[in-house]
Amino acid sequence: MNRLQKAALVGHLIQKLHENRSWCGETHVQKATFLLQEMMGVPLEFDFILYKHGPFSFDLRDEVTSMRADRLVELKSQLPYGPRIVPTDRNIYIKGLYSKTLSMYENRIAFVAEKLGDRGVAELERLATAFYISKCVGIEPSVDKRAKELMRLKPHITPDNAMTAIEEIEKIKNEAKEYIN
Amino acid sequence: MGKNIHEIRDPIHIFVRLDSHEREVLNSRPFQRLRHIHQLALTYLIYPGATHKRFEHSLGVMELASRVFDVVSNHDNNSDEIRELLPSLKRPDELRYWRRALRMAALCHDVGHLPFSHAAEKDLLPDGWDHERLTREIIESKEMQSIWDRMTPPLRCKDVVKLAVGPKKARDLQFSYWEEILSEIIVGDAFGVDRMDYLLRDSHHAGVAYGRFDHYRLIDTLRILTTPSIENDADGSSGEPALGIEEGGLQSAEALMLARYFMYSQVYFHAIRRIYDIHLKDFLKDWLTEGVFSTVLSKHLDMTDNEIEASFWAAAFDESKTGHLHARRIVRREHFKQIYQRNPEDVFINPEAGTSVYEALKTHFGSENFRHDRYTQESGAPDFPVCLRNGDVESSLALSETLAHLPIMSVDYVFACRKIFNEAQKWLEEHRKNIIIPKKEEVGYE
Repeated sequence: MNRLQKAALVGHLIQKLHENRSWCGETHVQKATFLLQEMMGVPLEFDFILYKHGPFSFDLRDEVTSMRADRLVELKSQLPYGPRIVPTDRNIYIKGLYSKTLSMYENRIAFVAEKLGDRGVAELERLATAFYISKCVGIEPSVDKRAKELMRLKPHITPDNAMTAIEEIEKIKNEAKEYIN
Repeated sequence: MGKNIHEIRDPIHIFVRLDSHEREVLNSRPFQRLRHIHQLALTYLIYPGATHKRFEHSLGVMELASRVFDVVSNHDNNSDEIRELLPSLKRPDELRYWRRALRMAALCHDVGHLPFSHAAEKDLLPDGWDHERLTREIIESKEMQSIWDRMTPPLRCKDVVKLAVGPKKARDLQFSYWEEILSEIIVGDAFGVDRMDYLLRDSHHAGVAYGRFDHYRLIDTLRILTTPSIENDADGSSGEPALGIEEGGLQSAEALMLARYFMYSQVYFHAIRRIYDIHLKDFLKDWLTEGVFSTVLSKHLDMTDNEIEASFWAAAFDESKTGHLHARRIVRREHFKQIYQRNPEDVFINPEAGTSVYEALKTHFGSENFRHDRYTQESGAPDFPVCLRNGDVESSLALSETLAHLPIMSVDYVFACRKIFNEAQKWLEEHRKNIIIPKKEEVGYE
């Protein structure tokens, strides 16, 4: 996938997150892109590691910086919160160039945006890390064990929140099956 | 009684001090090699003073890392909440261990650099290798392992690796919150002392003032904070600790980021500096066995700027020598001239306009006559927690208009050989508008 194809997909995801009432800060974009790639199988080829608020890709951060340099997205700050990432008119233009690629992944993007749109940072962190644990760490499927691993990796997460996150990500995974393959 | 603390004079930090154990690292072969690696590659061809080396930069990074550590680990500068998340802060023995580990990681963070630092790294190492991976191999080598073992207390090799290269480059290692914070002190996007030192030092040696900022004030106000309740979070902050700043230091943080922007635009991304890097890379592709640097440690340690400079100097005046043409372009200052650069009007039509121009020129005039250089600065907007005077924590980007609107440096240069420059320039003027229009994809990507 070339750079502008990726930018078109990420830009479209950002737009859909906005349409689903997301604050759309960096964490929202990181976690939504993570699930789009790892759960929904969209071949964006970003490399995710466990870091800031859970799965995090430095490549994706650099890509969003490049998109800002190219005026495809911009930052809008608003007290007391951090900045929102907002698509520009140029983003629509770039998406037009890659409409065939976009149409192939449109449903998956819409699904992720709908599932994550109204979530806050802490919730996104828990859900994305919960998915990371089953997909990337390969912990066995018992909810209890995965919840413990979640708390080990992110010690500030409470047991109740960890259990809820593991159960919820399972539910989302099952719903996602309809859009994959 | 023998002396245990040793002082080294430094133009930026005046004195850099280290003890006898630490001096063993300084005296090791991998570290001494850095005396012969230019910090800024061939930048001295444009800024003649910029002949400084990775050696003194690494000492400076160690000095600044220690200062930051002492500030952020000071009991008075931390809340109970932070001490609960980072128990090492409550244990003096652990703090002593980690201070030493941080200093040694800072000292060694660049030992894997290739000759001429970044100039040739991207294309002249086998796939999957970069200077951070070489740094890691050296830190884990037998020679260095025996030094870590002799220290009091002995240092765990993996700890030095983690702090020296950070999570971005040590993707296979898991970092605790504490290790993340310590690695952020060295290689962090916002307050990494690697950057602080290179801005101050490069600016000093290049003779430009752009890289200066009030690093004393900045370091004094650094704090470990929990991330603010940003981004409309219904259930409060995420609670992760991160390196942040007291409100009073915000202007010095702005000055750091502006210094970075100006140094990029005036020095690091200077067009002629960039084309010299490309000519050097061309020379090395011809000159190196198999066209790439060796990743065998003994061979890596044998290779410095000295051998390469001597070779391109000789090749520049002898047509029979390998790489003559490229060496000549460097030594005799016959570098390619800039024929195209990124501009807002073209970016509006096609963000990759430079690539289109480069491809068109190559097709029309031959690929040997052109070089392309495309690079956008890495890392995101400088978003870090700021502790307000009333104790609240907020995002730096919400508080600072300056940080929120920092321009992003992006270069897209095309360079042309002098012998066809005028003709190519004329042709490009005639065809540019058509060349840069992007084509719509015909098939979607699966």
